Amino acid sequence: MSETSMFTEDILSAARAKAQSIISDAEAELQRATQEAKATISKEAGDIIRNAQSEAEAIKRRQVSEARHLSKLHEQGEKNRILLEVLERTRKRVIEATKREATYLPYLTVQIENGIRELGYDTAVIHLNATDLKGINRASIEKDAAKHLGKSVKVEWASEPIETIGGAVISSVDAKTRIVNTLDQKFEALESTLLMEAGKTLFVT
Amino acid sequence: MSGIEAVKVIVDAEKEAARIVEDAQNKATQIRKGIDSRIQEERQQALDSAKKEAATIVQHAEEEGKVEAANVTKESEKQVQELVTRASASKDAAVNKLVSIILEEK
Repeated sequence: MSETSMFTEDILSAARAKAQSIISDAEAELQRATQEAKATISKEAGDIIRNAQSEAEAIKRRQVSEARHLSKLHEQGEKNRILLEVLERTRKRVIEATKREATYLPYLTVQIENGIRELGYDTAVIHLNATDLKGINRASIEKDAAKHLGKSVKVEWASEPIETIGGAVISSVDAKTRIVNTLDQKFEALESTLLMEAGKTLFVT
Repeated sequence: MSGIEAVKVIVDAEKEAARIVEDAQNKATQIRKGIDSRIQEERQQALDSAKKEAATIVQHAEEEGKVEAANVTKESEKQVQELVTRASASKDAAVNKLVSIILEEK
């Protein structure tokens, strides 16, 4: 090989080596950038999966929670239905009881006595519903009341009937002071007690 | 080979060497230009795959949730039915108790 040929070969070898180096650098840069990107991409993909898992858990929890809530509402609805039925039956039984003098007269007497005592006046006006106004034994009530009150109180009977299922309103003569001892008032005043006691009997196992 | 011929050969070789280097630089430039698009392509593939997997996870959860919710409802229906049966058997006792409370309340 001539010196010229060797010289040109050296020139070309150097050029090829430089070319290889240039391409290798670019490929290394590509490799490095790809590796770095892979880490970021992997994190992004991982975030998507983790978010989906969280969402999935939330979806399951929400569906089960909604089902529990609806079930609870259904149960409460059934309980309310039964409680209302029991309250209604109680009301009917109490109304029936007002028709049996043996049961009702002592009850009404006590309510009137309590009303007179609470009113604290020498004269009390007793207001009854139309049925009681016609049928009740007023003399018996006056006699028992006088005996139990231990003092003389003048009892007057209002001629106008009141709207109630039973019991009495006891008022002062001027009607400014009124003690309401009707059965309707008792149902209203005792409603929470009635519901609680009925609930204990019906639902506590 | 004459001196002139030798110089010509060397000049040609240098031209060829310059072309080789220039080709390499062009190729390197192409490689670098392709980095972003290659990364974007890989990212898109990975994210598409992750989204598909995520959708499957959510869909399974919805199906599982429905099944669990249905079980809860079924179990609750059974319990409510038992409660109604037990309570119905105690209605008379409850009414008696409430009547007593009303009529015996002073």
